[in-house]
Amino acid sequence: MLVEDHIKHNKRLTVFICGFMAFLFLLVISSFGYLYFGNIYISIIFGLPVALVYIAITYSFSVKTVLSAAKARPANSLVREEKLLMYKVEEMAIAAGLPTPKVYVQDSDNINAFATGKKPEEAVICATTGAIRKLKTDELEGVIAHEMSHIKNHDILIATVTIGVVGAISLISEIVFYSMFWGGAGRGRKNEGNAIIMVLAIILIILAPIFSRLTYLAISRKREYLADSNGAYLTRNPEGLAKALEKIKNDMPQGKPKGSKTVAPLYIANPFKKQSTNSIWSTHPPINERIKRLRSM
Amino acid sequence: MLLTIGIVVIVIVIIFFLIFWGYYNRIIRLENRIDNSWGQIDVQLKRRADLIPNLLESVKGYMTHEKETLENVTKARSALMNAKTPQDNIDADNMLTGALKSLFAVSEAYPDLKANQNFLQLQDELTHTEDKISYARQHYNDSVLSFNNIVETIPGIWFAKRMNKSTKEMIQIPVENREVPQVKF
Repeated sequence: MLVEDHIKHNKRLTVFICGFMAFLFLLVISSFGYLYFGNIYISIIFGLPVALVYIAITYSFSVKTVLSAAKARPANSLVREEKLLMYKVEEMAIAAGLPTPKVYVQDSDNINAFATGKKPEEAVICATTGAIRKLKTDELEGVIAHEMSHIKNHDILIATVTIGVVGAISLISEIVFYSMFWGGAGRGRKNEGNAIIMVLAIILIILAPIFSRLTYLAISRKREYLADSNGAYLTRNPEGLAKALEKIKNDMPQGKPKGSKTVAPLYIANPFKKQSTNSIWSTHPPINERIKRLRSM
Repeated sequence: MLLTIGIVVIVIVIIFFLIFWGYYNRIIRLENRIDNSWGQIDVQLKRRADLIPNLLESVKGYMTHEKETLENVTKARSALMNAKTPQDNIDADNMLTGALKSLFAVSEAYPDLKANQNFLQLQDELTHTEDKISYARQHYNDSVLSFNNIVETIPGIWFAKRMNKSTKEMIQIPVENREVPQVKF
């Protein structure tokens, strides 16, 4: 498959999965309204703005905390290796037609990198000292191009919003679960309703957190493939990133990874887990599959 | 009856206007992107030309037997300074890339020079500028490609004709100058 087809294919899939997520969210809100007020519109009218505010708050806070959680520091232009990293970031920004992001460095022997920032104009790219030391120029370039594609595709926004939706759904589910435990569900209802629909609504609300989490992970994996193919398009050299991923695969993690688990999807490879099998519970696609796809371009 | 026809005509005119509006803005935006990416190349070319005198200054003391190599660099630099059209610029830049490549190859024979911090920094920065130029060129060609795709396909071609816009030239890059392996796109 050509790189451009990869990009289109992954974009279409993301739209589809995001649509499913939105549908799930509406379904949960409506079920909640049905159970508690006997009216699905009340909860949509009140629930949606509340959920949006919740997501906006999550968004504005999460980005700020990523850098401090990773214990990242600004790159030092007096150190040659870090200067070369800054050069690479600038080059990839030119290739992508984006403003040059700020460059940060995380002191860690593991090979990894991540991008963060609310919009392309305020983006940050952070690489570990391990990545700077162990990767060759074309490999580092591939990794930076991957991160630059995350910025260009607004993946940071997608990740934080979907995390917010997952959080909101879990919150609703928990409210229902605890109130049922205390026998509160549907007590104040005028409308008798249909017992079957009520049971279905409860089951839906209980299962929704799992489904939304799986959907979120599916989106995360699709975005990784998309960033891989976009990155390959920027460097015109898929082999660079493929070789870098191979090094990451063969490089055993050293010491405890820094940072919080919520930002794991932002890294080029999950710093907390070695991915070798295809699991619906992974944030990243299996590394072997990513290498295979890059080499087929 | 007359009223219905009138409404239908107005709706069609509005729809046509909206489509024209969309395409007009898109064509102008893509054209501006091309100008902007040319600006980016231009900045890097100037930066590169500015770095050359410093480089020559720092190698002068060491490279006493490489007159021809140094002259080639100077020649390519003045060709770059005098270039008018984008393609001239790029051709002169390719000449400079070749001249610098032989200069850096020759420098391997001078261990003192290789240990010179100033020279190393200039070498890093010149390589970086060269990479930036090639990526800016790539972005320029990508921008030209999306512009040409709009201007050459239906319905864009109808609006482009009316706006007097036609396809733009990509920058030709000599094959031997691509260091990375070519990929099919």
